[in-house]
Amino acid sequence: MEVAILFGMVIGLMLIGVPIAVSLGFSSTIFLLVLSDTSLGSIAQSFFQAMAGHYTLLAIPFFILASSFMSTGGVARRIIRFSIAIVGHFPGGLAIAGVFACMLFAALSGSSPATVVAIGSIVIAGMRQVGYSKDFAAGVIANAGTLGILIPPSIVMVVYASATDVSVGRMFLAGVIPGLLAGTMLMLTIYIIAKIRDLPKGEWKGWGEVFEAGREAGWGLFLIVIILGGIYGGIFTPTEAAAVAAVYAFFIASFVYRDMGPLAGKDGAPNLPLVRKPIALITAFFHKDTKDTVFEAGKLTVTLMFIIANALILKHVLTDEQIPQSIAAAMLDAGFGPVVFLIIVNVILLIGGQFMEPSGLIVIVAPLVFPIAIELGIDPIHLGIIMVVNMEIGMITPPVGLNLFVTSGVAGMPMMRVVRAALPFLAVLFVFLIMVTYIPWLSTWLPTTFMGPEIITR
Amino acid sequence: MSGHYRAETVLGQFVNELEETFIAIILGLMTIITFINVVLRYGFNTGLIWGLEMTSFLFAWLVLFGVSYAVKVTAHLGVDAVINVVPPNVRRVLVLTSVAVCVAYAALLMKGAWDYWANFANLPQTTGRWFPTGLEEMKRTSYRGWYEVVDIPFPEWLRWIQPIMNEGEDYEKIPRFIPYAMLPFGVALLLFRFIQAGVRIWRGQADSLIVSHEAEDAVDDVAHMNRGD
Repeated sequence: MEVAILFGMVIGLMLIGVPIAVSLGFSSTIFLLVLSDTSLGSIAQSFFQAMAGHYTLLAIPFFILASSFMSTGGVARRIIRFSIAIVGHFPGGLAIAGVFACMLFAALSGSSPATVVAIGSIVIAGMRQVGYSKDFAAGVIANAGTLGILIPPSIVMVVYASATDVSVGRMFLAGVIPGLLAGTMLMLTIYIIAKIRDLPKGEWKGWGEVFEAGREAGWGLFLIVIILGGIYGGIFTPTEAAAVAAVYAFFIASFVYRDMGPLAGKDGAPNLPLVRKPIALITAFFHKDTKDTVFEAGKLTVTLMFIIANALILKHVLTDEQIPQSIAAAMLDAGFGPVVFLIIVNVILLIGGQFMEPSGLIVIVAPLVFPIAIELGIDPIHLGIIMVVNMEIGMITPPVGLNLFVTSGVAGMPMMRVVRAALPFLAVLFVFLIMVTYIPWLSTWLPTTFMGPEIITR
Repeated sequence: MSGHYRAETVLGQFVNELEETFIAIILGLMTIITFINVVLRYGFNTGLIWGLEMTSFLFAWLVLFGVSYAVKVTAHLGVDAVINVVPPNVRRVLVLTSVAVCVAYAALLMKGAWDYWANFANLPQTTGRWFPTGLEEMKRTSYRGWYEVVDIPFPEWLRWIQPIMNEGEDYEKIPRFIPYAMLPFGVALLLFRFIQAGVRIWRGQADSLIVSHEAEDAVDDVAHMNRGD
């Protein structure tokens, strides 16, 4: 009963326009003061410790910083050029290249709206120029943009790992196959539609262009190698890998791509090579562009962490009151098996994912469903991937999916048109969700192969 | 619905610049310390023993300091699906209610933040469970300024605080009240900014406390690229 009131209060506050973080924190604080003997002082302490005491969460600001350096530079443009060089000559080539570019960009950034903005703004304009309808273009990008949180590195996965004490490395590996699968399914669908509707295809520009574009984009894409290679090679912890990635991204953006910082050409002038202005090696650290990018990343970190810190207070309430355990017992008594449980999880997350920022949602839902899943014998990594995919789909499910909003802004289309445009591809992602939910090895095979079988502690 | 934030007065611009710079510096420091530690480990087989603790505290500082800034520029994430479809007068009531909730939240947290910090700063905690009803009497055991952090060494130039906080005895590591000071400071700023936001909304200069996703500004920047059909 108390749980229902608690969650009712959280949702009610959110709906009247209270920031998500405050809805979570305020409800939990009231609850703790009324029901337990926790003092306000210890709530403040757990708020401080949310940052100072969670080593895993420390990876989040660094991942955000790396991806802001990557998205301020002309990385999106280079990735798109590379994608077009590779898949542009197929029927529906530019649309397929759009999906491919979203997959690559997702590997550099951990956020779905950011992917839609960076890739979508360029690709949608490009697709319209060669004769695609705006609706088709918007539908493709809205769906492909959601891959941002599934393909590693992913902030949502870091949050899940931290909330449930599973390994970040395993989660990242687990996202690889589902991420590639989802991308491939979307690209195949486009290919089939293109064959039927005779959509335009680009021309094959030869291997020279592939290599040239690949070399250009490669500087950025090497970031993935640093992160994944560093973690699985045992060189870095995920947090260190993220910090190294951020420093690498800074160097690439300032000295190789030179679209920001002291070497960037002003007002359309070409970017300077480093030899012409060697002092840039020092000034780049203090340049206004650098400061602005670090600041933007800091601001985004603050808003995300404010939600996560308050969600951790809510988690404190849930564990104090033994709520997950009692729900688990009730479900087992009622004879619910894993299948029904997973359907319930799907539904909760699909609804939640429409309204809420994914990382905040996962901090709340994960501690609630995790103990139940373990009782039912569901693999924690598999559960994590299911949750991520669910939220991905929640973001493009009408009526209020977040990615639909972003796409409608980027494409300059009313919401309802984006919804209709996204529907055919949404159906594909639904099939994908069912596959991920009921075929565990899609998620578990890669981490088990590389990191050995997992030890599950209850 | 956010817009790009613009300060109106000279003081406002100065404070804004100060806040943005501080946020950038904290995140920059966190990154550099962590990076240097990796380099030291592989290049020189050594490391900054205090690096991790320092980064963790800076992380807490970043968020605690930054939340008030995010209120000021309307960057906190929320759900605007309902408030965007109700008539303007209903919306106004809902938004003002949400401001009241935010102020209450910050006020509760303020009491908690003070109590927790005072604990380590030789200052009296407040009495009362929900609201501060007074100050606790300082007993002999209430002076806990001698509590230190785990790893960060005490810098020489701070020795002058020893007579004030630690009866003249030497600190080996920095005392806890220093990193924890950001807790009451940040929460006090948060309370102030929520009240300020409330005043803005009351006067009709703003119409919401939240944005629906983190890329709202970025969307505005690229929206011109795909206008029309």
